[in-house]
Amino acid sequence: MVTLKEALALDESALEALREEIKTNVANDKELNAYIDLSQSGSGIPIAIKDNIQVKGWSVTSASKILQGYIAPYNASVIEKLEKANLSPFGRTNMDEFAMGSTTESSCYGPTLNPLKRDCVPGGSSGGSAAVVAAGIAVAALGSDTGGSIRQPAAYCGVVGMKPTYGRVSRYGLGAYASSLDQIGPITQNVEDAAILLDIISGSDEKDSTCASLEPTAIAKNIDSDRKLTIAIIPDFIKDASDDVKVAYTKAIDTLKSAGHTIVEKAMMDPKFDISAYYVTATAEATTNLARYDGVRYGTRVEDGSLVNSYFKTRSEGFGDEVKRRILLGNFVLSSGYYDAYYVKAQKVRTLIKAEYNKLFNEVDLILSPVAPSVAPKQGEMEDPMAMYLSDIYTISVNLAGLPAISLPIMKNKDGLSVGLQLIANAYEEQTLFDGASSLEKSL
Amino acid sequence: MKIDEALLKKLEKLSYVNISDEKRAEVIAQLSEILSFVDNLSELDTSGVDDTFSMRGESTRLRDDEPKIDRDINENIIKNAPKSENHFFVVPKIIE
Repeated sequence: MVTLKEALALDESALEALREEIKTNVANDKELNAYIDLSQSGSGIPIAIKDNIQVKGWSVTSASKILQGYIAPYNASVIEKLEKANLSPFGRTNMDEFAMGSTTESSCYGPTLNPLKRDCVPGGSSGGSAAVVAAGIAVAALGSDTGGSIRQPAAYCGVVGMKPTYGRVSRYGLGAYASSLDQIGPITQNVEDAAILLDIISGSDEKDSTCASLEPTAIAKNIDSDRKLTIAIIPDFIKDASDDVKVAYTKAIDTLKSAGHTIVEKAMMDPKFDISAYYVTATAEATTNLARYDGVRYGTRVEDGSLVNSYFKTRSEGFGDEVKRRILLGNFVLSSGYYDAYYVKAQKVRTLIKAEYNKLFNEVDLILSPVAPSVAPKQGEMEDPMAMYLSDIYTISVNLAGLPAISLPIMKNKDGLSVGLQLIANAYEEQTLFDGASSLEKSL
Repeated sequence: MKIDEALLKKLEKLSYVNISDEKRAEVIAQLSEILSFVDNLSELDTSGVDDTFSMRGESTRLRDDEPKIDRDINENIIKNAPKSENHFFVVPKIIE
């Protein structure tokens, strides 16, 4: 598949041929189930879009039964920005229902397979977006990252996934899961393409008051892989990771050292607290955001006598098990009597997590961290919700602190599965992040 | 923290979600396990930590209160709603 950089040089007929090629390859491999459909809008460079980003006139459903029948009445701001740059939404990609999951198995459209090894999951929640790039059936894709949902599937599928600083990219038109954590970001074949796509979708937006009043980034043309950086490693973090991840971590450290970067060992708070602060915050925000799905204004309604009974019936039949679990949890942590001990406490812990990162970034430019504790698990293996939450251990503090991070493939294990690692930068330091990531990518 | 049947009933009501009979025991066990884990937050001393965390240091941006409307959006929402009539969403009767 052509890279995004290469595609920018193609004329209209070459782009039409590219779309036809994608259509043929998708039709010949239905089993992968990474695209929900090949909806098309415009005739620019085709970009695959996660099923929770509004594209006007498309069915956009967050892979949920409850949104069947909903047609997006407007474009997300990132879609408007794509179109201005002659990029066009092409194909909506599979995901965990409402972006709640790490495997893309909770989609109402059935699971997506991992293109590297089909009996494994592609990760999640942006599993479809990572899989289409990895399978060579998309130039690039947009995903969303609330607790690792771009970086982890990118790592499992062997592609590049980038989560921007909170506020760098408008969330207008992104189906809300946890509003203080969600960010839209690129999933691409290489680091430079991720920078190109970020440059296109970033920048202020009057329709999103949490989007920073900043110009779009201009990173791609300024990437400097020769810049020497100070990069922190967290030896304590790696203890519980699988052998594959440990080997990749050592490999990345050696590579960065020989590229001339300074590696320093640092310690951070036990990440078990990140998991707790995350699941309290995310479920609280999710329960509030998902209150709007009542069957009155959009999607699917299941009537059952009275209006109240219809609410119950619509939501009980429309939401899947994981979504229900998080709604119940969110209502618990927000309910009278528990609010202070859980929700308020989690916000205080978030303050501590952010302060710890601030302190660390006074001393270093980047942090090197695993993305997931292991390579992609087998389909059906991640059944226990608590085990799934624990697997988010390396990605969620980045969302809690609103930082930018990029996941890139480091190596393959003996089964052909990819091990990805992430670099993390201080808020709004995407240029540094891409300089370091480009250096690592080139030196591997 | 343990969830029991009474608390699950309360959460279902708050959530407008019903958990089926065959799944109740499993859901109670899962929620209890997750909340027991999350209880580790109490190990951290947060006395003196501000509870007004926000993603950005500044307050929410203000804008002029100018009316803006895109009729096309309204039309499309109504058109694709589960039930609508004369620019209204239709719901089951609320008052007998």
